Amino acid sequence: MSAPTGNTYSNTETLVDTQKNKRAVTALQTFGRSLGLGLYSLFALFPLFWMVLISFKSDREMFNTLFIFTPTLENYEAVLLRTDYFMAFFQNLIVSGGAVLVTVVAGVPVAYALARYNFKHKEGVAFQILSFRFAPEIMVVVPIFLIFQNIGLLDTYLGLIWVYQLITMPLVIWVVRGYFEDISVEVEQAAQLDGYRWFEVFIKILIPLIKPGLVAACLLAFIFAWNSFTFPLVLTGFQVQTITVTSMRYIASDTVRFGQVAVAALVAITPQLIACLFIQKHLVRGLSFGAVKG
Amino acid sequence: MASIALENITKAFGKINALDDVSLEVKDNEFFVLFGPAGAGKTTLLKTIAGVEFPQKGLVKIDGEIVNHKEPMHRNISMVFESYALYPHMTVYDNIASPMRSKLYKKDEAHIRRQVERVTKMMQIDHLWERRPSQLSNGQRQRVAIGRCLVREPNAFLMDEPLAHLDAKLRHHMRGELKEMQSSFDTTTIYVTHDYMEAMSLADRIAVLNLGKIEQLGTPMEMYYTPNNEFVARLFGEPEINIFDGELTERSGELAVRAFGQAALLPVAPDAAKVLRGGEHRKVRVGIRGNDISFSFDEVPGWLRGSVYVNEPIGNKVILVADVGGVRLSLVVPNDTRAKIDQPVFLSLNMQHAIFFCAEKGTYIVRSNAAQHVSDAPGTKEEG
Amino acid sequence: MAELVLRNVYKQYENTEKSWFRKKKAQKLDFAVKNLSFSCNDGEFIGILGPSGCGKTTTLRMLAGLETVTDGDIYIGETRINNLLPKDRNIGLAFEDYALYPPLTVYDNLAFNMRAKKMSNEEIQKAIDYVAPLLKVDDLLDQKPPSLSGGQKQRVNIARAIVRRPKLLLLDEPLSHLDGKMRQGMRHEIKRMHHEIKCTTIIVTHDQMEAMSLADRILIMKDGELQQMGTPMEVYDNPENEFVAGFIGEPPMNLLPSVIQKEEGTLFFTFENSPLRVEVPKRYLGILESGKKVTLGVRPMDVMVAKQTTAGSYIPIAIYENLGDERRISVRVGDSLMNMITTDNVVYERGQEVQLEFYAERTHLFDPETGKRIRAN
Repeated sequence: MSAPTGNTYSNTETLVDTQKNKRAVTALQTFGRSLGLGLYSLFALFPLFWMVLISFKSDREMFNTLFIFTPTLENYEAVLLRTDYFMAFFQNLIVSGGAVLVTVVAGVPVAYALARYNFKHKEGVAFQILSFRFAPEIMVVVPIFLIFQNIGLLDTYLGLIWVYQLITMPLVIWVVRGYFEDISVEVEQAAQLDGYRWFEVFIKILIPLIKPGLVAACLLAFIFAWNSFTFPLVLTGFQVQTITVTSMRYIASDTVRFGQVAVAALVAITPQLIACLFIQKHLVRGLSFGAVKG
Repeated sequence: MASIALENITKAFGKINALDDVSLEVKDNEFFVLFGPAGAGKTTLLKTIAGVEFPQKGLVKIDGEIVNHKEPMHRNISMVFESYALYPHMTVYDNIASPMRSKLYKKDEAHIRRQVERVTKMMQIDHLWERRPSQLSNGQRQRVAIGRCLVREPNAFLMDEPLAHLDAKLRHHMRGELKEMQSSFDTTTIYVTHDYMEAMSLADRIAVLNLGKIEQLGTPMEMYYTPNNEFVARLFGEPEINIFDGELTERSGELAVRAFGQAALLPVAPDAAKVLRGGEHRKVRVGIRGNDISFSFDEVPGWLRGSVYVNEPIGNKVILVADVGGVRLSLVVPNDTRAKIDQPVFLSLNMQHAIFFCAEKGTYIVRSNAAQHVSDAPGTKEEG
Repeated sequence: MAELVLRNVYKQYENTEKSWFRKKKAQKLDFAVKNLSFSCNDGEFIGILGPSGCGKTTTLRMLAGLETVTDGDIYIGETRINNLLPKDRNIGLAFEDYALYPPLTVYDNLAFNMRAKKMSNEEIQKAIDYVAPLLKVDDLLDQKPPSLSGGQKQRVNIARAIVRRPKLLLLDEPLSHLDGKMRQGMRHEIKRMHHEIKCTTIIVTHDQMEAMSLADRILIMKDGELQQMGTPMEVYDNPENEFVAGFIGEPPMNLLPSVIQKEEGTLFFTFENSPLRVEVPKRYLGILESGKKVTLGVRPMDVMVAKQTTAGSYIPIAIYENLGDERRISVRVGDSLMNMITTDNVVYERGQEVQLEFYAERTHLFDPETGKRIRAN
């Protein structure tokens, strides 16, 4: 609602005019908005579309066709059947999933403690955890490499899951802490008076209340872990492979096999795509705080 | 069904003393009200009894047994929180059933259903079983919270400002409902409020708290008629009691108060005069309630002269504030009274009902006929 | 000098969100204010009273120019102000939350608006010297808002609204953030202030006590519609409908659904599940007949325990409360509680059986369907 303007024509005219104008304006607005959104989605989705396109192109047609070509499945065959790409896919799943699991088990209690208890340097600790996200991965990866080499964690699941905590832990702790803070202490106290042990209160009352935030944070953490490139590039070798690193294999020294890279990338984004489609609603609601207030 | 005793409870948050050496005893089956302004430490005291806050010093006893070390769940106490503290993800039914589903107080589902039916009917929320707290109005949430508290048979009910967030009409209505239910509770109840009407209406006994200390402990009538000090006097009654400075003088052998810089003297009742003469007091503070002042717009000899500061019609009565020598006196006048601002008004104070306070410390000295007022039977004899 | 007139004012909000992709027309919401007409005289103190969502704040915002008027006219004096910008309306507005400028002293806060209008320092000084003592902020002029208490802030806030001598002063729930005792004192200050400057003032509130004690006349609104307008005693003694009757007064008026029945040639109000019978007062005899359903309204002050025993039925006391200043008795009539207030000194007990006596001249009847007042001929 805007403030009335200082025009001075008579009352009835004003009303009729504004109503007519309004209808025209809304129609125009609708059209304009749709056009804008259409253009934007074209712009945003085009690389994806292009990737799907070139995944069906043979190397011969890669550079001399745009939209019209003879589709072929040879890239898919090469990547999915003739290399161990699937293995990398599952190993990536283990590493990322494991990282998120560890984060939930360790991070949710940390978040609870940060939300509920008062102790010295609490905010300092909380900020320290968040600051892990600030450091560029490339800066810490070299010392970690040396340490891992010495203690034998190089190229192991455990090592990678451990390092991934730098990515996943801050996110989950900060989101879940906000959720815990939104829950009134009195709800917990009420449950205790109802005769529940602290652990039962945690499982029966608190977990359901933070669930939207937890799910959203875990999903985001999973995606960040899944997409991580620097850590696996340096810290893995032959035993453990992640798809981000494996995709690079199709860029050989003499030639880049764009078709195969495209297939690898498409396979790599499927879990995220599926997850996002299914829990999109959760994601939006979960990351906007205060959803649990009742 | 238990007595509760607190001994020398002290608790501080940082440097602020929330509770400062509080001792009190609540008898079995008593309806006990903790009353005081915001920040007095009422809620902290209640939570200390519940066991969700811990005193730094002092003992909490339930039925004579020290329970300081006991977990809240083992104290068998149910509580209504000011914020209601309902479980947002559960329906009304599950919220109320929750205390009977814990391992400790486990009951079978048929029993639970009967009990939930009983309390929801009592609270008139039996049509809301399937709702979640977010779909309820404040009044309904509050009734669910009370229902969850009443569904068990605990050692004691603790109620923390259960009516505070309701609007005036609903609060009035719920106070009536609570008062009527009270006799069927049959359980020790400790009730926290900052509304003097709730306190006076519901309480068997009241403890007035201020800044973590008990100012006075006694029956509602003691609070109203013989307050320990000016602070307590001001808390009870609407409009607030008028307290003004006075100087004791002798007038032809009778004690009287000179006040407001006016020639008219205020006589002191003989029994009060005896006490006042016995003390060292020359200067006193005099408290008198709005009901005990008569007024006239025509000059009456011997009455105090003042002017109308404001008059407020509030329906069944008019509150008239008079300016008497720079002091404001509020009085209750009939609802058909019309007054113009700044018009002269003449007042007569019913000094039989005056309360005398010490001028320096503000503590209670005397009032006429105190024992009779406090006995809660003012109608048995004609007053004054 | 500044008479305020509203003529058939409507306000309708439109829900434009979501409309584009559902291909629906912009959704029109219900009228927030419906056909509101009233006028207030120069220097009058008007209270707009109603529950939340009744359109009272919308009305105030339209007066201030913060909302457009969908239909109708608003005049201040001779000027139609519908299309004037807020700054050109010469209106002083004090919001519910104080909205003071924290880095400025109280003096600068008061002077802010006048400085914007390039008034000379002497003029500003003069205006503040006049207003500050009225609201007792003259000792606070050097302080900054964060160091003030809630009541002081609200006084500064109101002082700021009146310092430039507006034609119309609008107060939006000015007391709702203050606690009980403070509110009482502040009410007195506002009333005194109005008495001094005699500026046309409109206060919006949901607290009937506030409206009753401050206003010369009260408008009671519900669902965007004006229910009644009148002096405090008029709306208290003569409510137009059931809503007004229930909204004004603390404790509220008892509203009891009842059926008229004839017994031995006399008409009685009877109540479901209650032995209570009340004889129909003479003035209603012409308009009531046996079997008619009405809602009987009676103020807690106008019903009492009968001093002498009559033939009527006995009812047990459900609640007896001694509140010091007064005593309240409630009895069950069907499902509802009926409240009585007495100031006499008789002590009753819960469960004691008593007879009731109604102050027949002060009973009100309402139509149970429409809620409209049924008046005696």
